[in-house]
Amino acid sequence: MNNTIRWLSYTAILLWLSLFISTANAQTSQVINFGANSMTLKKAFNELEKLSGMTISYSNSQLDDQQKVSLPKAERTVAETLRLLLRNQSLTIKQTDARNILLINSVKGKLTGKITDQNAEPVPGVSVRILETAQTVQSDNDGNYHISLDPGTYTIITKYISFDDTRTEKVKITANKSTALNLHLQESTNALNEVVVTALGIRREEKALGYSTKVLKTEQLTDAMSNNWTDALSGKVAGLNLIRSNGGPAGSNKIILRGESNLTGENDALIVVDGVVINHGSGRTTGSGSSAYLQSESPIDFGSGLNDINPDDIENVTVLKGPGAAALYGQRGANGAIIITTKSGKKRNGIGVTVNSNTAMEHISRWPDYQFEYGQGSDGANFYSFGVSEDGPSTRSTSSAWGPKFNGQSFFQYDPVTKTAGKERTPWLPYKNSRKDFFQSGRTFTNSVTLDGGNDQTTFRLSLTNVDNKWIIPNTGYGRNTVALSATHKVNDKLQVATKVNYTNKFSDNLPSTGYNNQSIMYWNMFWLPSADGGWLKDYWAPGKENVAQSYPFSSYPDNPYLIAQEMLNKSNRNALTGNVQATYNFSKNLSLMIRSAMDFSYDARSQQRPFDTEKFKKGMFRTQNIFSQEISNDFLIHYNKDLSKDVRISVSAGGSMLKNTYNKDELRADSLTYPGIYSLANSAGVLTPKPYRGKYGINSFYGVATASYKDYLFIDITGRNDWNSVLATANSTDNVSFFYPSVNLSGIVSEMFKLPKFISYAKVRASVAGVGSGQQTPYITSFTYDVADNFPGGLQNPAVLTNTNLKPLYTTSYEVGTDLRFLNNRLGINIALYKSDTKDQILKTTVDRSSGVSYAYVNAGKVRNKGIEVELNGTPIDQKDGFKWTVFGTFTANRNKIIALTDSLDNLILQSGPASRGAIVAKIGGSMGDLYGRGYKRAPDGQIVYNNGYPVIPDDQLYIGNTNPKWKASLGNQFRYKNFGLSFLVDAQYGAVGYSLTAAVLAEQGKTVNTLPGRYNGIIGKGVVQNADGSYSPNTTIAQDMTTYYTTHYGRDNIEGATYSTDFIKLREARFDYTFKPKTLRKFGLQRATIGIYGRDLMTITKWPGFDPEFGTLNDGVISQGFELGQFPSTRTFGINLNIGI
Amino acid sequence: MRLKNYTIGLFLCLAVTSCKKGFQELNVNPNTSEKALPQALLAPAVTSIVTANMSRSQRLTNEMMQVTVNIGDTDGKIFRYDIRKSEGDYLWNSWYQELSNFNDIYKGAEQLGSNSFKGIALICQAYVFSLLTDTYGDIPYFNATKAKEGVFMPEFDRQEVIYPELFKKLEMANELLKTGTNIPSSSDPLYAGNAANWRKFGNTLYLRLLLRVSAKSPALAATKIKEIVDVNSANYPVISSNAESAALKWSGTAPYVSPFATWRPADWYTPKLADFFVNNLKEWGDPRIAKWATVYNGKYEGIPSGYPVGQAPEGKSTLPVALQSEPLLGNILNYAELQFLLAEAAAKGWITTGTAKGYYENGVTNGITYWGYPVPANYLLGAEVKWTDNLALEDKLELIHVQKYYSLFMTDMEQWFEYRRTGHPRLPKGLGLPNGGQMPSRLNYPVYLQSTNGANYIAAVAIQGADDLYTKVWWQKP
Repeated sequence: MNNTIRWLSYTAILLWLSLFISTANAQTSQVINFGANSMTLKKAFNELEKLSGMTISYSNSQLDDQQKVSLPKAERTVAETLRLLLRNQSLTIKQTDARNILLINSVKGKLTGKITDQNAEPVPGVSVRILETAQTVQSDNDGNYHISLDPGTYTIITKYISFDDTRTEKVKITANKSTALNLHLQESTNALNEVVVTALGIRREEKALGYSTKVLKTEQLTDAMSNNWTDALSGKVAGLNLIRSNGGPAGSNKIILRGESNLTGENDALIVVDGVVINHGSGRTTGSGSSAYLQSESPIDFGSGLNDINPDDIENVTVLKGPGAAALYGQRGANGAIIITTKSGKKRNGIGVTVNSNTAMEHISRWPDYQFEYGQGSDGANFYSFGVSEDGPSTRSTSSAWGPKFNGQSFFQYDPVTKTAGKERTPWLPYKNSRKDFFQSGRTFTNSVTLDGGNDQTTFRLSLTNVDNKWIIPNTGYGRNTVALSATHKVNDKLQVATKVNYTNKFSDNLPSTGYNNQSIMYWNMFWLPSADGGWLKDYWAPGKENVAQSYPFSSYPDNPYLIAQEMLNKSNRNALTGNVQATYNFSKNLSLMIRSAMDFSYDARSQQRPFDTEKFKKGMFRTQNIFSQEISNDFLIHYNKDLSKDVRISVSAGGSMLKNTYNKDELRADSLTYPGIYSLANSAGVLTPKPYRGKYGINSFYGVATASYKDYLFIDITGRNDWNSVLATANSTDNVSFFYPSVNLSGIVSEMFKLPKFISYAKVRASVAGVGSGQQTPYITSFTYDVADNFPGGLQNPAVLTNTNLKPLYTTSYEVGTDLRFLNNRLGINIALYKSDTKDQILKTTVDRSSGVSYAYVNAGKVRNKGIEVELNGTPIDQKDGFKWTVFGTFTANRNKIIALTDSLDNLILQSGPASRGAIVAKIGGSMGDLYGRGYKRAPDGQIVYNNGYPVIPDDQLYIGNTNPKWKASLGNQFRYKNFGLSFLVDAQYGAVGYSLTAAVLAEQGKTVNTLPGRYNGIIGKGVVQNADGSYSPNTTIAQDMTTYYTTHYGRDNIEGATYSTDFIKLREARFDYTFKPKTLRKFGLQRATIGIYGRDLMTITKWPGFDPEFGTLNDGVISQGFELGQFPSTRTFGINLNIGI
Repeated sequence: MRLKNYTIGLFLCLAVTSCKKGFQELNVNPNTSEKALPQALLAPAVTSIVTANMSRSQRLTNEMMQVTVNIGDTDGKIFRYDIRKSEGDYLWNSWYQELSNFNDIYKGAEQLGSNSFKGIALICQAYVFSLLTDTYGDIPYFNATKAKEGVFMPEFDRQEVIYPELFKKLEMANELLKTGTNIPSSSDPLYAGNAANWRKFGNTLYLRLLLRVSAKSPALAATKIKEIVDVNSANYPVISSNAESAALKWSGTAPYVSPFATWRPADWYTPKLADFFVNNLKEWGDPRIAKWATVYNGKYEGIPSGYPVGQAPEGKSTLPVALQSEPLLGNILNYAELQFLLAEAAAKGWITTGTAKGYYENGVTNGITYWGYPVPANYLLGAEVKWTDNLALEDKLELIHVQKYYSLFMTDMEQWFEYRRTGHPRLPKGLGLPNGGQMPSRLNYPVYLQSTNGANYIAAVAIQGADDLYTKVWWQKP
């Protein structure tokens, strides 16, 4: 199959190359060598007739042929020569037959009109195309357009994104007269003839595409704004899965399209902003590289450049889901692509000013099911004493809540005033809000001002955005200022230059540490006790020991949360510049060349500081990282199109690019300090540890696409791309650096080919076959070197990961078929895609037997098959003349994934390990990505849990627990519009996956959740069986007395099965109510438009997940991993208000 | 038009050939080094070995050998011999990792023509392989650490085949270091470059390993021990003082910071000291107790190990927090241990230079002085310490080994190895222990070997016996 595709593509490339050579030799296009030096027109015509063998006719009443003309002698076509000679005349040159040219007077007529939408609002920026002359104008800011035309009869076509095209035939234009044509646009529900930005920024009509795409408009991203705008993609695109880092205010998201095909590592979609790929520059997930479970440091999510795009600046987002769609992006597009186009300025009178203001408030939406019946204590203790007292020994140092019941009694307890044991017994009480009170409401203010304007030559758009965030953990949050500039300039008819530049400064004085570790807030949250008030901790230094000793009354494991929030700071200040400059030169109507230079650059200065007496850094710590990240790419694209006949049109684009990626990180560590409270490298108590890293790679590419259409209802695309990736070069060879990817896409509009029943308004079928290869984008994996041994002067050591000099690129072959059907006058639409893809020769970092000398080795291995279905539905149940409109849309996605092969030598591959190797995501042949294995219950043949001495038996064997990828995801959205009011909401759901919850496990081990209440004091008989001596089973009748052991065995960390829960959920994801002011009202205030909206995000969640949010990711070693929840932050509910004003 | 085509064609052509230009240089890793001299590799490798040893000494040896009791009734309590399969991973991974560094030190030394580095590499290899085989039994030896040559799944070799190879290595090292010049001092955290001391360490290790297999071929071992001690001692210099002990003494300055120094105190003192460990020291009036135990309610008090589920005692004395940065915990092989090795050999009549009593008392004395204390008056005459020549051999061995147990405090898995070999010191067995308190004989192979080196794993198990804690390794087998 691959070979077939390859040959097809080679043929296609040959085909389009030959097109340049064959040019039809029409008479007016023949080249003559002509010049005139102050010669009369009449004489000039005579000369021309001689040179061309053509006759030139005109009326003397229309043209004064005695006027003198001059023209430098040069080789030009006849038509061009005439045009230059007649450039001051209002004459049209018309070739009437092979040998005759007629010059006729062209006293033009005018076509004007206003374009409005269904609400009678003017629509600016609409393309108005005159079919016969191929002229195009755009409507201005008031929706008005005008164009001069020769007298005649024309067909007028409008095109505007997200509106149906209009076609008005037989519009008559008379000389010297103005003809009025007002047009009403209908918003399209499924943007059929919409122009879609496809790979490499090539704009295509949706109907011509052989693969499924999805376009989202700016409102869909801004209507219910979240801290990370990509959250708004949830539930709107079938086949899109967001993995959230759950990393705090700057939390990154990883976008996965169509399931994971790569066994490890780079499996997220390519992100392209205005032609600039940002994944591997500013957009890389920039968490600090520590793992989430009890390391010396904790991961921190510093956010990525993707988060920093202002959603108000986005014109639209195109999602190219499959390899077919993204084949032209080559190796980086192997996992699909998200193409973001930012807004540009429009031609208009004066300068347009738009003001957007958004305020969002975040509140914690769910809590684990905490118990408030028993207080601090271990093993069912029935008394309490803070320190040794007359009541007995101290019970203060446990973090468990297996202690005395709250029964109105009094004990010697902690006295927050003296910060020591109270002298009197005080009432033993639960503090139900003590965890909650630590947190606060988060709030985010986003304000932006946009200026835009333009004339025939130049347009610009400038936007300024300020974001101010305070997060739910005190003293955390960030600020951001963004300046975005877009400008285009037509130098002349042929040359256009354009630029888009986005500068962002994002800064934070503190971003929270994530994960399960002494210094993370959520660790404290698990360890805090129902019998203690969180407010006792506010004064976090021990009396008289400011900056030296913290105050924490109980177990010494957790750090004081106020100390964490106020003193254990993680700072960041990032300056990022993303942008491009491009020039387009139109050689002719049919041939153009685009040259572009793009850069994604950022410099991030980070630091972490820890005061004295923190559990992991007793003598304090200060670390700094300076991160320089830069990706520069230069590319060109030649575009040629031609109508071969009335029915057959072809176009060819070909281009190439050169890309260089640089990533430098300079880290210095002072892991103990001399003076407390001074955070500077100069205060280091020991030798500073440097941790430098330099990374560089380059990718060069050539690519081409040839498309042909027949009668505007049958379309074929053939693409080919070759990449050369330096990552696969070795010291001796570049044999493996080159790889080729072809694709073929077919699309047919059945409804235009055949006469279909009337209720079918549109029917399209499509098919696509593509091959996509991919190298890694991690350099230096092809040659053996020794690693630096930290802190040893000149010390080196063997690497833990063995490089491989023979690495080949991976290869995905994908097949996709789909259909797009619309019924009942476009009131109901359904879009279905079915796909299958095989990925083989993956570059894997695989675990090997350490006795071989290394822990991991890079190998080419594996074959993974993804099969799936994506369905998008939309409908307009009600669309009344009086302005009431109800639209519905829904998505459904199911993906099945099967591991067909690993390497010859491996039948198991550990893709990810749980906390301290508890459980693992294991790939086995025949299994599926995301299969979770770990210890679980011993079960009798009938499935009942086997008990021994009253406690469940948890053998060492690794059992299959479940899969961490959902079986399906679905969403349903509704939108109601009545006159100026709008109401919309979106619900989405997922089903069929599980996740390991460390939060639930630790809380259960410590007796803090209500599931650990039964049996306290009296014991419990577990439901299950015991195995008799003869091997048979009988019901368990033994009473378990030790509740700590009983519940730890059931729900604790080591019982992977017991600590794993379903992540099924239904969420009310978005809701919005808005009001758009009437133009009449606004004009009084000098405004052009104004909308005010209130909205909510993640308003309600229905789930059995015991932690906070079933949708979690975990920041681990700098990547967002799935399957294991390791101390997630609370989930939040957002309420917001936004205001959009146009002046 | 035609010209344009030519231009484009030419451009394409040029571009294609230059599409990978410079890639070879671009993909050279600037963060790492293509070459490594022995002096660059030695210090990090030795430090890593000692770090790994200390970590498992604290976690496994201390619990099995009743130094500490990590109180609790959940699964995986090592003091109750409930040792999870996964406990075997860490040491396997850490030890083999460093063996590849010692390999490269030897190869580098060959290129440099440095006999000293060759000898040192051989000693380190023999040492680490002995730890591996004593912990697991049969292990990959001949084909181990050959990933660079493409061997990802090395076969396992029999322990009885491995031991003679280790002896060969130590013989070679002794010869190589005979004329050896010192190595750069900064590359050697054990002896600051002194090749003579490395030679002594190698020969002392030789004695340790000979004794370890002595039950299997007593004549052979005895002959060699006699050669080293009696017949040809001039050619086999051994450690002759505490100062010559092989130990990585943590200075507290990076990179020589004790791995425990960064622990949270709470984790450090979670395991409580066991009766066995505390009571002997108390009875002997041993001054080392001040460095090894905290006072609980005014007294040094241990707790019983191996107690049954549900009868958890209240924790008492613990290891002091000061030990977290104690330089002496980086012990590999000390002078006192040598004296006890010789005492045993003498008691068994294998050597005649010196007496068992002399070696024993010298071992006891140096065991205490090593920790910076003078030997208290009459310590050697204490009822439980005093050597009597007419004791039965087993009782002499108990005397030797109970003292040796303290010399081996926090020294890799050595207490456990010696207990498995000799059954000494006689540990009390709690009622909570399974199998009548039978001490585990080995650790499980890492679980992940079943998927990463499956066929060889299965073959090894078929030869050695089930991959469980109680399958005896070759030198333990009757």
